[in-house]
Amino acid sequence: MTAIPLWVRRPAGERVGWLRTVDHKAIGVLYIGMGVAFFAVGGLEALLLRAQLATPEAGLVDPETFNQAFTVHGVTMILLAVVPLLVGFANYMVPLMIGAPDVAFPRLNALSFWLSLVGGVVLYFSFLAGGAPDTGWFSYAPLSERAFAPGTGVDYYILGLAVNGAGTIIGAINLSVTILLMRCPGMAISRVPLFVWMTLVTSVLILGAYPALTAALVMLLVDRQLAGHFFDPAGGGQAVLWQHLFWFFGHPEVYIMVLPAMGMISEVIPVFSRKPIFGYGFVAGSSVAIAFLSFGVWAHHMFAVGLGDTENAIFSATSMLIAIPTGVKIFNWIATMIGGRLRMTTAMLFAVGFIAMFVIGGLSGVSLAVVPIDLAVTDSYYVVAHLHYVLFGGTMLGIFAGAYYWFPKMTGRLLSERLGRWHFWLTFAGFNLTFLPQHWLGAVGMPRRVFTYAASTGWGPLNLISTIGAAILAIAMVVFFVNLVRSLRSGEIAGDDPWDAFTLEWSTTSPPPPENFATIPAVTGRRPLWDRKHPEARDKS
Amino acid sequence: MRPPADAIGTLALIVGVIASLIFIGVEAALVYAIWRYRASRNLAGQPATFERNRRLEIAWTAAPALILAAVFVLTLGTMAEINGAGVAPAMRIAATGHQWWWEFAYGGTKTANELHVPVNTPIDLDLTSVDVIHSFWVPELGPKMDMLPGTTNHLRVLARRAGSYEGQCAEFCGVEHAWMRLRVVVQSQADFDSWLAAQAVPAVTQGGDGERVFLSNICVNCHTVRGTAAAGTAGPDLTHVASRATIGAGVLPNDVARMRAWLADPQRYKPGSLMPRVPLSDADLDALAAYLGALK
Repeated sequence: MTAIPLWVRRPAGERVGWLRTVDHKAIGVLYIGMGVAFFAVGGLEALLLRAQLATPEAGLVDPETFNQAFTVHGVTMILLAVVPLLVGFANYMVPLMIGAPDVAFPRLNALSFWLSLVGGVVLYFSFLAGGAPDTGWFSYAPLSERAFAPGTGVDYYILGLAVNGAGTIIGAINLSVTILLMRCPGMAISRVPLFVWMTLVTSVLILGAYPALTAALVMLLVDRQLAGHFFDPAGGGQAVLWQHLFWFFGHPEVYIMVLPAMGMISEVIPVFSRKPIFGYGFVAGSSVAIAFLSFGVWAHHMFAVGLGDTENAIFSATSMLIAIPTGVKIFNWIATMIGGRLRMTTAMLFAVGFIAMFVIGGLSGVSLAVVPIDLAVTDSYYVVAHLHYVLFGGTMLGIFAGAYYWFPKMTGRLLSERLGRWHFWLTFAGFNLTFLPQHWLGAVGMPRRVFTYAASTGWGPLNLISTIGAAILAIAMVVFFVNLVRSLRSGEIAGDDPWDAFTLEWSTTSPPPPENFATIPAVTGRRPLWDRKHPEARDKS
Repeated sequence: MRPPADAIGTLALIVGVIASLIFIGVEAALVYAIWRYRASRNLAGQPATFERNRRLEIAWTAAPALILAAVFVLTLGTMAEINGAGVAPAMRIAATGHQWWWEFAYGGTKTANELHVPVNTPIDLDLTSVDVIHSFWVPELGPKMDMLPGTTNHLRVLARRAGSYEGQCAEFCGVEHAWMRLRVVVQSQADFDSWLAAQAVPAVTQGGDGERVFLSNICVNCHTVRGTAAAGTAGPDLTHVASRATIGAGVLPNDVARMRAWLADPQRYKPGSLMPRVPLSDADLDALAAYLGALK
């Protein structure tokens, strides 16, 4: 299967520094490190927002600072934290899971990471250059045009996102080629672990979605720096064009962030249920359905733009359709647990937490596909609640499940289960306390992106609860960081296969050697390691 | 027709009940699986090995599809209803978004930040913007609609109960987005008619110090007071500013003392607002606040 030559070979055992490394595992760790660092920064920005909103008409920060903080919070969490975390795990795990010695293009892999990081640095440089972007993460024109955003913040947003996006696009090419061409003998595409499946689907989504963002960014740059009129109605342009281009990227981006996390819990749940995944074909196939549909739902972000009833009805229908393959996944995960012997480790707790919370985000998502309900609650805190149930309650809990599951493989040491439980329950409590009340705030009239609200609105108490939740969430994250640092130094030694797992990454040492496997493995089923451990009960597929 | 808010409320109730039932069902199944199959219960025997069931897959694909089809049909019905359902509006009002205030025009009569409508009367708002994208939202009236520069959108308004309702801009529109609030006053047809008649008449020229201060400073570049030479259009029409409940699109209650404080330094109350601080003497400030306070 590995007919493709590796373009870069490392002499066995040679150690290269982090700056020069082209090892997929080291680059994976770099991506994860970048994601963790930006997650911390984005989290501090969120705390600032919540502190300001804890009480009505507060003056903790001025409006300009607040607007910069929520803009940078959104961009940071989405593009500089969540995506790098997911790409990092994919980088590290995909070659191991398909029995490959590295990704297809190791040097390109390093380029992807450094471009992604530089994009983030460019964005943050805006703070030093005279002020961060303050037009929101989706930076609607014409507010983002020079006439209304005369500073350099939006220019750094454009350059940072374009460079970061180039890295992500290159990484997606690399991962998809790796998955398509570098699977070990016997690893048919119908046998690859579901995390690999989801990474492949996500890579295809990135290749379809990110170029639309890049194009929109370049057009905005032309408007701002070369006096263009793409989005300027006064010059014959169309403000709404930006929204079409942005959400053509932006909605697939949601699935780019959710599908790999679904892949992670699709690994964790079977291992800790001691059963094969239920409905492998449907879990994999439903991802393809989601990916396909996700390119046809973007205008549900724009129901209030006034596109017309026909357009709104079409996008309402496609948006509802996407709930079907999503539901299929949830049912299959629960069916995987039925009849199993569930070991409720921290990884499994987070995986189950993903399902429990993602259901809420999914259902509120369907309500937003219902045009009249959307017209009532869009652009309000209801949407803030919804998107955090999907991206924190879903994706972040999935990433934590993956982190507890794979940390031993990556470091040779287990994360502390005791601190892990604290981490989980504090996260669960803090998360729901922060975001559940926001549904009500939105429904009664609190718009998103306001730096304060009048005392007469009566929104104070729920906002205070939300801020208390955010503080608990922050404590949970501190517990996680403590767990990371302590376990890295003195965690229990993991061994090669601490979870009695099913897939190939657990058949090599922890951490794996530079070449991953002493000999390229050959597989005969979906659970190669299970087959090796239980030759009498091999999987048939 | 039903008020759009009622139509949306009914739909939201139906969708909410369906969603709650699904939520309870899925979470119960999850909790049951965790409780029933946890390893610490020391169940005898090996874990099950089943891993597929085509009928089950078809069932849990088809069931949500059917539920969603029903929700979609209800959605289409409500969409048509909130757009007016073929009922012609009794009146049209032009609403224009500005950074960070609202302009409402009843024919040639303009006012700001306070929309008056007669009760139980279908009205269409013609929404547009002079700068960036804003969004008209009064939760008690139901749906919101974006105000786009270069385009006019329409929103059907029908309020069933008289009263005063708060709303605010829902699309992030720049630094003072939070203080782009508005008030909708729903009143009886007679009250509305007399309000509109009062708004339509020009201001009575007082000829005092306050008017002199107003007309001899840069106030007139942006503001109109009908009946005087002031005819600026960048800021709110002040012909009957004293009849409105708030200053600065909701940032301060409207009385002479607050008006004086606002005039002395608008940037203190609404930093980033396009109204500059005009250096005036204390006496001029007193006179100007009194003048504006008399423009009922």
